[in-house]
Amino acid sequence: MHPCLTFCALTAVLLAVRPLQAQQSTPAVDSAVHVLSRLAYGPLPGQVDRVAQEGAWHWIDRQLRPEDIDNRILEHRESQFSVLDYSRDDLAGAFLAFQRQRRERQRAMAQRGDSATSRDQGRRMSSSGRELRQLRGQVGQLVVVRASTSNRQLEEVMIDFWANHFNVYFAKGLDRVLLPHYIEETIRPNAMGRFEDLLRATARDPAMLFYLDNMQSVAPGARPPGLDRRLMRMSRNAQRGAASVDSMRRRIEARIPKGLNENYARELLELHTVGVDAGYTQEDVIDVARILTGWSISRRDDRVRFQFNEWAHDRDEKTVLGYRFPPGKNQDEGERLLTMLANHPATMHHVSGKLCTRFVSDTPAPGCVDAAVSAWRRTDGDIRMVLRAIFSAPDFWAAAHRGTKVKTPLEFTVSAVRSVGATPRDGPGMSRVVAKLGQPLYLEAAPTGYPETQEYWVNSGALLNRMNVAMALASNKLPGITVDLDAVVPASDDIDALIDAVDDRILAGQMTQRTREVIRRELEDVADPADRRMLAVGLAIGGPEFQRQ
Amino acid sequence: MISRRFFLRSGTLALASFGLDPLFLDRAAYAITPLRTSAGGKTLVCLFQRGAVDGLNMVVPHGDSAYYRDRPRIAVPRQSVVDLDGHFGLHPELAALKPLWDNRSLAVVHAVGSPDTTRSHFDAQDYMETGTPGVKSTTDGWLNRYCQHNHEHQETPFRAVAFGPQLPRIMGGTAPSLAIDDLKAFGLQAGRPETRDKLTRAFESLYQGSATGMLASTSEESFEAVRMLEEVNPAQYRPAAGVEYPRGNFGQSLMQIAQLIKANMGLEVAFADIGGWDTHVNQGAADGQLANRLREFGQGMAAFSSDLGERMADVVVLTMSEFGRTVRENGNRGTDHGHATAMMVMGGSVDGGRVYGRWPGLDEANLHQGRDLAVTTDFRDLFGEVLLGHLGAADLGPIFPGYQLDRRRFTGVIR
Repeated sequence: MHPCLTFCALTAVLLAVRPLQAQQSTPAVDSAVHVLSRLAYGPLPGQVDRVAQEGAWHWIDRQLRPEDIDNRILEHRESQFSVLDYSRDDLAGAFLAFQRQRRERQRAMAQRGDSATSRDQGRRMSSSGRELRQLRGQVGQLVVVRASTSNRQLEEVMIDFWANHFNVYFAKGLDRVLLPHYIEETIRPNAMGRFEDLLRATARDPAMLFYLDNMQSVAPGARPPGLDRRLMRMSRNAQRGAASVDSMRRRIEARIPKGLNENYARELLELHTVGVDAGYTQEDVIDVARILTGWSISRRDDRVRFQFNEWAHDRDEKTVLGYRFPPGKNQDEGERLLTMLANHPATMHHVSGKLCTRFVSDTPAPGCVDAAVSAWRRTDGDIRMVLRAIFSAPDFWAAAHRGTKVKTPLEFTVSAVRSVGATPRDGPGMSRVVAKLGQPLYLEAAPTGYPETQEYWVNSGALLNRMNVAMALASNKLPGITVDLDAVVPASDDIDALIDAVDDRILAGQMTQRTREVIRRELEDVADPADRRMLAVGLAIGGPEFQRQ
Repeated sequence: MISRRFFLRSGTLALASFGLDPLFLDRAAYAITPLRTSAGGKTLVCLFQRGAVDGLNMVVPHGDSAYYRDRPRIAVPRQSVVDLDGHFGLHPELAALKPLWDNRSLAVVHAVGSPDTTRSHFDAQDYMETGTPGVKSTTDGWLNRYCQHNHEHQETPFRAVAFGPQLPRIMGGTAPSLAIDDLKAFGLQAGRPETRDKLTRAFESLYQGSATGMLASTSEESFEAVRMLEEVNPAQYRPAAGVEYPRGNFGQSLMQIAQLIKANMGLEVAFADIGGWDTHVNQGAADGQLANRLREFGQGMAAFSSDLGERMADVVVLTMSEFGRTVRENGNRGTDHGHATAMMVMGGSVDGGRVYGRWPGLDEANLHQGRDLAVTTDFRDLFGEVLLGHLGAADLGPIFPGYQLDRRRFTGVIR
């Protein structure tokens, strides 16, 4: 028997028994809609009623303890993503070997005098190159699958929040292979833990050290031990002619880090911790960079690891935000710096403000931020307790803030997928949809990560694309996903019953009277019930109500 | 903010007292006069050569003997160079641009680049697009900031358009801008035109009825754009007689930019990019890898100029690349990441037929870090000069924050 038959019959019975309009504006239902829109990637079919029955706060409490929520369905889905079976060493090794092969091929070509175009090189890409590309392609899709499938919805929302807060660009050199591990081992396990642990984990993750260049920040004048001896040996043993040795020497010299690099230090203050308004100066930035000289990466035997290079460390005295760091220290002063920054009042305000922007409003009310800060202070930055304080703040529940935030492309796509109860497949289809809407996952080049506020996401091209995605989803034409509308909104000859069902299932009862009238008018000249349903669902998902959460 | 000021100036102050949220007000200012603009608006077209073009083989300093000394295998031979002024010459594959040089609508700025010394493509492109070298956390691009701060321009949805699947950094920001992959595919997609019209009408009524704030004003822009494009009918476009754009994305982008300009859609800033310049290995000399890229590049620019004909009087094309390449060739008959490069400026307001910028020379003592062409023109001075001289930007301060632009440093490339 087709599985849909029972399921659809059941849905039909439920819809028939339940008077749709009557249920829609009880406070319990409204609260359920609100928490499922903000703390989750939108409701699944029927979930609003379940959460309303359970009680929104009960649901929040469970979401704050993700480890107690059964997630076997997601775990099964994750097992289809082979990229998760590769360790950082596997990926880095494959990448570095691939690069070496390419260099050797180029050298061979140069000796033959070939002049290959880049297209030829693409055609000759080795199988290891293709495999790497395929593995990297899984990473974005995994985000969509987890966000739409996980029962630990709040945790997934927080993972997205932190991955943006501590942004790493998935297309910068070695980060092409370091990012998956960064997400799995540094961001995900710490997303609901203590802020200080999360900060410390990002600070020493090779992906971050590479992305913001701290790996090449050294005390001015410092040179790696043994380098000069190696260069001398090279000149002595010159077999390939003086010109070629000269060119190699120059390349080596050009690659050696030549002093402070302030990039990470600046973003650590401005974005990750105290924020741009904390009143620090350029001298503070420089001293943060000096404290972190030597925090680098070892690539020995293709194994990429955090490594502290003592030779590169600046051992003089420094001062940051009035805190004195005495001379003669090594890696320990960097650890002390991170502790100080993680627990600085400005950090509490800055990060709490971002959390309130995410969960409450694009322009968060001070009351919400204050509540979060005092929880932070009380619990030494326990992220769950900070979140609980935000969800307890009157601002979070205020009518003026409900249904007002514009969804990001990821939120739009995943909430659309969830609203029709569909399951994305493991191919890259849905992450390409998110990219098409303007948010290629882990591919924001700026260290700010993707912004949370509407002015970044609402523009003509993107809005039209959302409408197209909505229609494609409703007509089951999106790549990488199968939609079975029968399971959600049964086709009906009765236009009003159909619109009621769409309002209830897709828009969680938020459909305005005007939208109802417009959809009704558009459905009237469509004869086929399946076409009519497709149009109604597509218009609802592409329409204005569904763009907000 | 200037956008706010403009809003007030346009006489609709009353709205502000209704307590609408300020973001909506900002965007509302953009939504005015959604009508077709008259001919005569100025357009700036920026072309990014991603991957760091070898400026020394693009605009060859054939009068500098160090050039031939340092590049024994990849220098463009003197007899092949298309001479410009006795010292510089175009790569032979850029010969299509020579007539534009001769009629003085093409100029070159040489030894231009970033004050930041990074050799990372990623960082250097980022700095060139945000217009803030050395500062990574800038959230918007300088072309977007231009749009944010210059509101005298008539607003249309096509004011700022980047061709490609995603909005590039240079155009990202709060001012409305479009990323268009293909003009023909802009708008609602459906198999049949009737279905497409029905969907467009349906969504338009939905948003008119139920959208508020920014969703309302932006959707208005969107449907206006769809209507404007329908009239233009991009699928039917034919370039001017005899003009052939090179095959590929770059030529297609240039053709669609020309189309928007000719249709008077109010296009003020346009952007397209072209890759393949990272020539570490076998870059070639008069022909070869780099020559192939330059052929496409030069033919595209020449076709664009011929296609627009007299309309080029209102257009400036500015080329850019994140940095140049090493003066000496490397062991693989290629060049590595360097510092300064050359940029071309073409169009009606250009005082062409000249190579601008102080030439620092190629003697080792004058090279940046002993290996690269030194930067004598900060790219912000060139970009600022073009914004001011061609588009009439009112105030460059907020467009290049943290940089004191000084007209005395302008090259003089814009008349």
